[in-house]
Amino acid sequence: MSTIEKLQHQLGTAGDESILRTLARPPTVFMIPLTVLLVFMFIGPILSIVLYSMMPSNALSLNPATWTVANYAEIIGGVIDGTGVYGEVMSNTVLISVATTLATLVFSYPAAYALARKIKRFKLLFLLALIVPLFTSVNIRVFGWVLFLVKRGVLQSLLGQFGIATPSLLYQEWTIILGTTYVYMPFMLFPIYLSIGAISDETFEAARDLGASRYMLFRDIVLPMSKPGIIIGCLFVFVLSLGAEVEALLLGGGSIYTAANNISYSFGYSQNWPLGSAQAVGLLIITVIAGIVILRTIDLREIASRGS
Amino acid sequence: MSTEQSTSLASRIGGGLWYGYVGLVALFFMLPLFSLVIASFYDGQIFSFPYEFTTDWYAKALASSSVQSAVLTTAKITIPVTILSTIIGTAGALAYTRHEFAGQELFKIFALLPIFFPLILLGLGMSMWANLTGLGYGVLPAIIGELVWISPIVMFVVSITALSVDPNLEEAAKDLGADTVTLYKDVILPLVSDGIVSGAIFAFVLSWNNYYIVSYLKGSDITVTTWIHGRMTQGFTPIVPALASMIFYLSLTLLVIAVIIELRGDKIKAALSRD
Repeated sequence: MSTIEKLQHQLGTAGDESILRTLARPPTVFMIPLTVLLVFMFIGPILSIVLYSMMPSNALSLNPATWTVANYAEIIGGVIDGTGVYGEVMSNTVLISVATTLATLVFSYPAAYALARKIKRFKLLFLLALIVPLFTSVNIRVFGWVLFLVKRGVLQSLLGQFGIATPSLLYQEWTIILGTTYVYMPFMLFPIYLSIGAISDETFEAARDLGASRYMLFRDIVLPMSKPGIIIGCLFVFVLSLGAEVEALLLGGGSIYTAANNISYSFGYSQNWPLGSAQAVGLLIITVIAGIVILRTIDLREIASRGS
Repeated sequence: MSTEQSTSLASRIGGGLWYGYVGLVALFFMLPLFSLVIASFYDGQIFSFPYEFTTDWYAKALASSSVQSAVLTTAKITIPVTILSTIIGTAGALAYTRHEFAGQELFKIFALLPIFFPLILLGLGMSMWANLTGLGYGVLPAIIGELVWISPIVMFVVSITALSVDPNLEEAAKDLGADTVTLYKDVILPLVSDGIVSGAIFAFVLSWNNYYIVSYLKGSDITVTTWIHGRMTQGFTPIVPALASMIFYLSLTLLVIAVIIELRGDKIKAALSRD
């Protein structure tokens, strides 16, 4: 029986009541709250970003009759011919995101490998130390870095004890990259950790029995098997660091502007929602694509079977 | 025998290096939090040694009426968010993991997509949407806004637990005549309860620490994180690290509890599989 026939059959026999009953039964009834919530407060906001981006400057309400691409023209034109801050903001943002992705990959990989294969004792303690920051407000953590790096802060006082003088470390481009690397590193470390942890001990034993060297083990087993983790981690970190605002604001001290700073400036100080939205649309498109790719790659069943 | 000894020595040194590196990474992760704690107990505005210990800043933070009202506002947001996101996220997880239906993968992608959004993007969109729909700004919009980000995270956590439950148990219960309500009340929910408790703890901690979404939707209300953010950009006072440290202690305690619960679950599972 095809679905349509089934539906007709149900409609014919029980009328509207059976549709209501389907809605009131699992799984449908379980999906309703989340779906309603997301349609209202997730799809709605995304739509407002897209719609506002096509309104004239400083418009505070939507008027379909006045739609325009002027905001896009201003931004794209600015990037191309260098007027305004757009070119600089874009290169800053891309530079910070690429550098953050590379740095988190390089520093995470050995740690993820060690946690998955080498660390047996105190593993829980290490994992806890890596998880706790994820659950602490971004601005609190970044503020912690400011206290550490600031003139006469924790680092300078400690080094000063040993007679080592250090220059001011805050408010530079690399300090922002330190901050974003710090904030987004868990999103690189954990996917790689999970993918390396999925490799069974038997695979390693078999390869060793066949005479594989350490280098071959890494090149032919660990690296290919951890590829999904690397891809997910890179997408995750790249997208999230495109949205980095607090890091640049506090650690960069306003000297370096990122796209997120510029967007929030358009919304906050200059009250220009359409211009801010047009800038956010680029970030939005990249986020949605990367999010779907990540979610299609993640197999929850596999993660669950690994945990137990 | 001597070669055996030397390889075991080499592997020990190798193992030590791995521990050393992971230790350094863990230190890097905790460094800003340690800095906060160090600053919160220091008596004075500017660091110099010897370290002068004080708990004054904590007392001042707790006595401050603006801090008290920020804590109260945050609680008004966090408690409903914890309860509702646990219910909504658990329901979504049960639909996805314990049933098969058309469009299942699509539902997963749609439901989990908010997790991958930079929070600034969610905050900005929500802020315009709240204006457009007349939802407005304040505690209620902040609750709905946080739910969008936190419910999917709860769904993710509960899904992982639910997927590790043997589907045969459910079949057995059905064969023994359990109806849908009994099935959920007596079989499925108890089996995934550890996941639900961890999900609820995560929800509480994430909501308490949320900055971006709240900052765009709170209106004139001040929460703990927005209070801290406001003070941070206005010049240094050690009350800020003291308050931030207290949030850190609370989050740490709750996360340790979540980890213990997860661990206990694993032990039970291990015991079951051994028998």
